[in-house]
Amino acid sequence: MNENIIQVPDKSGISKIMREIAGDLLRQQTISLVIGWEKGILPNKSAPAFITQSQDAEKLIFDEYCYHNLTKYLLQRKGSGLKTAIFVKGCDSRSLVGLIQDNQIAREDICIIGISCPGLMEERNIVIPAKKCEICYTSVPVEYDFLIDCPETKTANDEPGGSYAHRELPRVENMTLDQRNIYWQKMFENCIRCYACRNTCPVCSCKECCFDQANPTWLGKGNSTSDNGFYHLVRAMHVAGRCVGCGECERVCPMNLPVMLLNNKLSLSIEELFDEPPASLSLDVTATLNHFKPDDPEEFM
Amino acid sequence: MKKVGVFVCHCGTNISQTVNCEHLAEVAKDMPGVVFSTEYKYMCSDPGQTMIKKAIEEHNLDRVVVAACSPRMHEATFRKCLSGTDLNPYLLEIANIREQCSWVHSDKNKATAKAEDLISMSVAKALKNESLTPSVIPIHKRALVIGGGIAGIQAALDIADTGYQVDLLEREPSIGGKMAQIDKTFPTMDCSACILTPKMVDASQHPNITIIASSEVEKVEGYVGNFDVTIRRKATCVDPIKCTGCGLCSQKCPAKTDSEFECGMSKRPAIYSPFPQAIPNIPIIDQTACRYFQTGKCKICQRICTADAINFEDQDELVTIRYGAIVVATGYALYDHRDKYGEYGYGQYTDVITGLDFERLVNASGPTMGKIKRPSDGQEPKTVVFIKCVGSRDATKGHEYCSRACCMYTAKHATMVRDKIKDSQAIVFYMDIRTPGKNYEEFYLRAVEEYGVTYVRGRVSRIYMENGKLIIQGEDTILGTQVIVEADMVVLATAMEAQPDATEFARKLGITFDQNNFFNEAHPKLRPVETFAAGIYLAGACQGPKDIPDTVAQAGAAAAKVVALLSKDEMTTEPIIADVNINRCSGCGFCVPVCPYKAISLKTLTERVHGSVAWGPTGREVTRQVAEVNKGLCQGCGACTVNCRASALDLLGFTNEQILAEVDAL
Repeated sequence: MNENIIQVPDKSGISKIMREIAGDLLRQQTISLVIGWEKGILPNKSAPAFITQSQDAEKLIFDEYCYHNLTKYLLQRKGSGLKTAIFVKGCDSRSLVGLIQDNQIAREDICIIGISCPGLMEERNIVIPAKKCEICYTSVPVEYDFLIDCPETKTANDEPGGSYAHRELPRVENMTLDQRNIYWQKMFENCIRCYACRNTCPVCSCKECCFDQANPTWLGKGNSTSDNGFYHLVRAMHVAGRCVGCGECERVCPMNLPVMLLNNKLSLSIEELFDEPPASLSLDVTATLNHFKPDDPEEFM
Repeated sequence: MKKVGVFVCHCGTNISQTVNCEHLAEVAKDMPGVVFSTEYKYMCSDPGQTMIKKAIEEHNLDRVVVAACSPRMHEATFRKCLSGTDLNPYLLEIANIREQCSWVHSDKNKATAKAEDLISMSVAKALKNESLTPSVIPIHKRALVIGGGIAGIQAALDIADTGYQVDLLEREPSIGGKMAQIDKTFPTMDCSACILTPKMVDASQHPNITIIASSEVEKVEGYVGNFDVTIRRKATCVDPIKCTGCGLCSQKCPAKTDSEFECGMSKRPAIYSPFPQAIPNIPIIDQTACRYFQTGKCKICQRICTADAINFEDQDELVTIRYGAIVVATGYALYDHRDKYGEYGYGQYTDVITGLDFERLVNASGPTMGKIKRPSDGQEPKTVVFIKCVGSRDATKGHEYCSRACCMYTAKHATMVRDKIKDSQAIVFYMDIRTPGKNYEEFYLRAVEEYGVTYVRGRVSRIYMENGKLIIQGEDTILGTQVIVEADMVVLATAMEAQPDATEFARKLGITFDQNNFFNEAHPKLRPVETFAAGIYLAGACQGPKDIPDTVAQAGAAAAKVVALLSKDEMTTEPIIADVNINRCSGCGFCVPVCPYKAISLKTLTERVHGSVAWGPTGREVTRQVAEVNKGLCQGCGACTVNCRASALDLLGFTNEQILAEVDAL
């Protein structure tokens, strides 16, 4: 994978290389769409960009507000045989690996342009690092065809003592049972079940989500605390072992709920219980809960 | 509008003594969908079944709920009853008010209330039940027997005698297995070779049996009636068609190595047949010992072979053959005491041997021509000590189970020592004497009473050398004293254990194994030769330790099962299997590895999509993968259905909708 690594002097140079690669790919006409980011309407907002013409490649940018994980857009071209190029950060590359492992997209149908991520800022509070960066396992994409290598790359966990835990997690873990019950009840009460967290999640790749099914109806359509709780708990279980911690669920929540928290806790527990690496760090390693071995630990059963 | 009939059974007094059946029949009338209900003393009896049939006709019932014993007991009975009417047998639902209610409760009011709940759940499910139709799969009329020991030979002969083609697969160069190494057989003391080798000849000359030696199973695909087995024929470097079996090559071969057949007590050439009566009597080249393969020079065998049968370029070959049924007769291995039994010298004393070593020592064609001579100096041992349960009934060092044959063969060995060496002494250290077989106890008593074998009840704690003698330190628990014996030779009755590659092999076949790696039978009493994989049967010690009579009996039983299967042209399959809703399936494929029967695979669909593919042309065809269940392989265990997040997989007869209806009725 070393032949296509392009070094840039600092993070301000990333956008220029992005435009060059995207422009070249579209001119060669093997790829009909490049998915990246463009400038948004506000200074602290960038937006997903879908480039089909080489001259439009000039719109592409990369800055600390390119938090969107673009990989889920690929599902809209699933099975069409059309080739797509996509820009990914470290965390995005893991969800891409997950989608390939889940048999949702074919590796040969996509051209992955990785960016060694210099870190992102929080969307709603632009002076602090993004929450997802606190649990980052890899700022360098794990799978790529081209890599834009930026020397300013680092993850919060490159320093010793990195915890990979959501910043809320220690507080919630230390609560008493009653306090914790109140904490979750409050979250479920505030949820408006808009399904934004599910819709943006790259791991939620089901053709028809169990919550949308009418026959049988697993979950009431109304908004009630118990049904909301059921939704969040079932979703946490359905993504357990495959969640890559890209943090999109929590970012898109209009009610500002700590949606990542359950997934983060489950990911850490699975790593600990099975002593296996986190999900989707490599195409060759199947996610922990998606395979079984005769000597799997089972002391928790 | 569906019309449900409810039939409450008293089961004599089994149900009615704790459950008010008359009351149940009355309240059932008001349950949603129920148009008829009644009770009767024995619903499974002929009048009971007639009552159901009549009610179906008179009341136009289209769903039937029988509140009686467990479905395991009589579901098949009542399904059969329904198949005699216009109703599909799978429109029946059983409410278990016996095992799950009357038998486990004493308070009549509470039990009746619970029975009412159970019936209302069954009614709710019955309303959602759909007709299911069994499908048929063809049966390929050829059987594979894996393992050419006495179990495999017997099974192959029994199947072949009924007219079906059998392939007998053996990984060694010759069939015969462990029995070929044994000298005499208890309790009759007839010569093992004299009863085995005729059977080997029968197998080789049988028009319906093909012996495939020096070959192993590489891969098993398919399902009952249609197994596609890939067999690896190992490179033997001898052309079996050209070779006449003259044996000249073996005589002239300059390379020598330890003979496995003689338990390492004599040498064999690199080009060899394991024993003179080998079948097929075609030698093979052991490449690890062959001078040509090791040094690049020699080829003496090729030069002297008049048939031009030697081919040093021979390679492994893979062939795939279709079979309708498989008999697994892979036998056992012997426990290796050298790793664990430090007190018996970790194998460093050459005169501490195993039972199988002893068989070769007393065998007329063995390394000593049947004279009992101890391995270290070839002297005739005067005092021989036998130690039983080495690795058996010893959970700390070996296996918890009893190896079943050791008590008998130790009695046989001790008898032979006393018989062949007149001034000898045979001492057996034992924990218990287990002789549960026809003429077994008599055989043991003859060893003690007629041959004067000394039995000492107790374990041996240590063996060591002193002045050229083996000192056996043990305990006599009956006298409560310590015993020290000076012996010339010690024979250990080492445990029978599963083959070292048993678990890997089981996974290849998709059969299960127990905590000791022996293959699991489907039911310990009622389905002793079947496995959980339909069409695969067990014979002999691969299922658990066995002596020869039991092995032969089980081989015959397995053969009978195979013949019963092959005698049909096609078989119906249980319709309670997993079903894929391809509209929901996203093709993630997580169901594929969880299926214990390898019944699920992914297939590719091509479909037109509405509108356009995102940022692409309109009206495109897309391809996607979805799961597909093989109806012949699926056993309806449901492991895939719980693994599917989108519930695209459902177990017919137990669909999510049906189960939820039951839960909602509660």
